[in-house]
Amino acid sequence: MTRWQDGASADRKYVIRTMAFTIPYVAVNIAAIFGIFDEIIGKPAAWALAAVVAAPILGWIWSILVLMRDSDEFMRALLAKRFIVSAGMAMAIASFWGFGESYANAPHIPNWMIFPVFWACFGLVTPFIRTSH
Amino acid sequence: MKNSLKLLRTERGWTQEQLGQALGVSRQAVNALETEKHDPSLDLAYRIAALFERPVEAVFDNPHT
Repeated sequence: MTRWQDGASADRKYVIRTMAFTIPYVAVNIAAIFGIFDEIIGKPAAWALAAVVAAPILGWIWSILVLMRDSDEFMRALLAKRFIVSAGMAMAIASFWGFGESYANAPHIPNWMIFPVFWACFGLVTPFIRTSH
Repeated sequence: MKNSLKLLRTERGWTQEQLGQALGVSRQAVNALETEKHDPSLDLAYRIAALFERPVEAVFDNPHT
């Protein structure tokens, strides 16, 4: 049986949850840009910083899973389809560029870029994936 | 999947939003069903049939017969 909530309510909660994870992600990165963490860069403590910045990504994934749970079956199917296609595109782009670095001397791009690339792909495919089959 | 959902809905003078509320799904889901962009789960098909007091196959064409 579905646990579908009112669509607007589910969307609103999704935005709130997403913002709750976006704010710390952006705040830590801005702090890093302004040199707040310069003293620990290159030291073992920097791994904690890396973990703190990466942790919101798990939160974002959890948020979208909750949105899927609270959506009706059509919206759930659309989200799943868009997620799979955009994840595949992001992996293909990351692999392409990684092999470009290995074989074609392409400039290095940090691995964390895969997450923004994933969301860019998600935005790109969303207008085109409008059926559940 | 071909269906007579739009006909049944309009016969009752319901909007997609109203039908969605009666079924517990979004307006987008009703629109997707009517325009054959979504094949309903068995559970949703039975809910629709029950709402219109008809057998499932009177609402949805069985593509296998």
